[in-house]
Amino acid sequence: MRLSVRPWMRFWCRRGSMIVRIAMLAAASALILTAPDSQAQQQPRKKGPAPVAKEATQGSPQDIRREQQPGARESVQADVSARTVSVTSSFNGTEIVIFGAVDNSQQPSAESGYYDVVIVVEGVPGRVVARRKNNVAGLWLNTSSAAFDAVPSYYAVASTRPLEEIASEEFRASHGIGFQHLRMMPAFGQAQALSSEDLKEFREAVIRLKQKDGLYVQDPYSVAFIGRSLFRSAIELPANVTVGPFTTRVLLFRQEQLLSQYSVRLSLEREGLERHLHAFAFSFPTLYGFATVAIAVAAGLLASTVFRKSAH
Amino acid sequence: MHFYLPVAEMSANIFIFIAMGGAVGFLSGLFGVGGGFLMTPLLIFSGIPPAVAVGTEAAQIVASSVSGALAQWRRRNIDVTMGLVLLAGGIAGSFGGVELVGVLRRIGLFDFFVSACYVTFLGVIGTLMLIESVNTIRKSRSGVSVGMRRSGQHNWIHGLPLKMRFQRSKLYISAIPPFLLGLFVGLLAAIMGVGGGFIMVPAMIYLLRVPTNVVIGTSLFQIVFLTAATTILHARLNHTVDVVLAVLLMVGGVIGAQFGAVAGERLKGEQLRFLLAGLVLLVGLRFAWQLIAQPRDLYSLSAGGA
Repeated sequence: MRLSVRPWMRFWCRRGSMIVRIAMLAAASALILTAPDSQAQQQPRKKGPAPVAKEATQGSPQDIRREQQPGARESVQADVSARTVSVTSSFNGTEIVIFGAVDNSQQPSAESGYYDVVIVVEGVPGRVVARRKNNVAGLWLNTSSAAFDAVPSYYAVASTRPLEEIASEEFRASHGIGFQHLRMMPAFGQAQALSSEDLKEFREAVIRLKQKDGLYVQDPYSVAFIGRSLFRSAIELPANVTVGPFTTRVLLFRQEQLLSQYSVRLSLEREGLERHLHAFAFSFPTLYGFATVAIAVAAGLLASTVFRKSAH
Repeated sequence: MHFYLPVAEMSANIFIFIAMGGAVGFLSGLFGVGGGFLMTPLLIFSGIPPAVAVGTEAAQIVASSVSGALAQWRRRNIDVTMGLVLLAGGIAGSFGGVELVGVLRRIGLFDFFVSACYVTFLGVIGTLMLIESVNTIRKSRSGVSVGMRRSGQHNWIHGLPLKMRFQRSKLYISAIPPFLLGLFVGLLAAIMGVGGGFIMVPAMIYLLRVPTNVVIGTSLFQIVFLTAATTILHARLNHTVDVVLAVLLMVGGVIGAQFGAVAGERLKGEQLRFLLAGLVLLVGLRFAWQLIAQPRDLYSLSAGGA
């Protein structure tokens, strides 16, 4: 295998000191690394430790749904700071601000606690398999598992007060508000027959582990009224969040009675280099594999020409 | 600086992974090993999903062994016939291994299986190397000259059919043992995310009696093609190759390896083997601990779609 790297090699060999060569290689690698990033910079970039996502495109009207309880004078409207959140190569989690207003507010002041607001943000539903390790002959290995369908990838509940004080048990159960009422269907055709206690334990494990990853959040005092009708809340989307459409429900209560409900969709989308690489890896996996190998071979050959003299 | 890994689907600090590649590259340059058996565990311990660690590391091994293979090629230290027979077995083994990874992931036993493989192989190889290097060091101290075992002695391998002539190795043996050796190493490469040199090299020396000067080159030759095939298979069947992570590891790895090679020239062969044996055993013990110690949380989650 003869490669046309002769001029290159001569160039490298003439440079006497190895340090110079290393520095140049480092510069080259830095260049390779910063190249994708500069592409990502064309996207709206977030700065600061807890960046607030910028809205990339206008949401379409069907993203919004409104439900008014009969007889209620007040109605609620809300929106999110970004209907589309871009997951670029520099994505490291983001914060979404949810704000809304109560029309015909009867509230004397922001502090009066006249109304209660519950905000539920749910990610893409999907299948999750929970596994439990058991000690088998001194070794820990997964022995039992339970599959759940329609488990939201992300679930956040923000409210003005603890949920028990805002709405009745039945209401929360029927609307899927709070961790204990999260919709999570045991899948058909489980690997093993599971008792109801087992299922309950697996269910709790799913919620606990998702909480540990910051994907399930419940914060009973995070919705605050700013004026007589205006309120706001912020939710944290961690870096490990799954992309896809999210639903945000905003519910307005007065003395355990639902007055008005408003929902708005937001979506997390891969953008820029991140999107291309992911699409490449999943749509053309064989080509992607070949491309990865080509990069590896090129990197190896580059290193061997650059370091040829010092290697042996 | 953070970078969102497109396949691992997590945000990673790029400098940590370059440094990791550099550290392992240094050690692999120092000991003249591929480093897969160090890199894959490090990736797993740092939170990369084990299947992604295994798939991505295969790509990095291509980068780190291609320059070595090329150098051996220039010095005519590669027995291409032998390499191709090993490779034929290797690719068949890799196919099986990649399929097995998919099945084990679905039933939730992949993590356990990887750990068990590491404990077994690192334990055995590490112990053997330790004993051998200690004996060599002791003998060289007592002044007895240490000679390599002579090749050309006959053993059971010579009774098998399908004999082939391996010119550069000066061997006339059956193609079955190298094919089976390749198959076995290919299977391990796909499951453990290693090149398999740590099994290939001793097996070629002691089982096939390939002359030592040809062993390294031929092993490297087959590792390059085997890990390339494994990378493509993992990408195609399991979607577990993260190109961004692979590039980060390569950048660190190729630089680290150069420094390691320079440092390695100052140490004696048996001292290097002693140190390497210690390192191999440590990694093995770390995996053993993971299997024996009670996990902090008995439960774990995985996305059920795949």
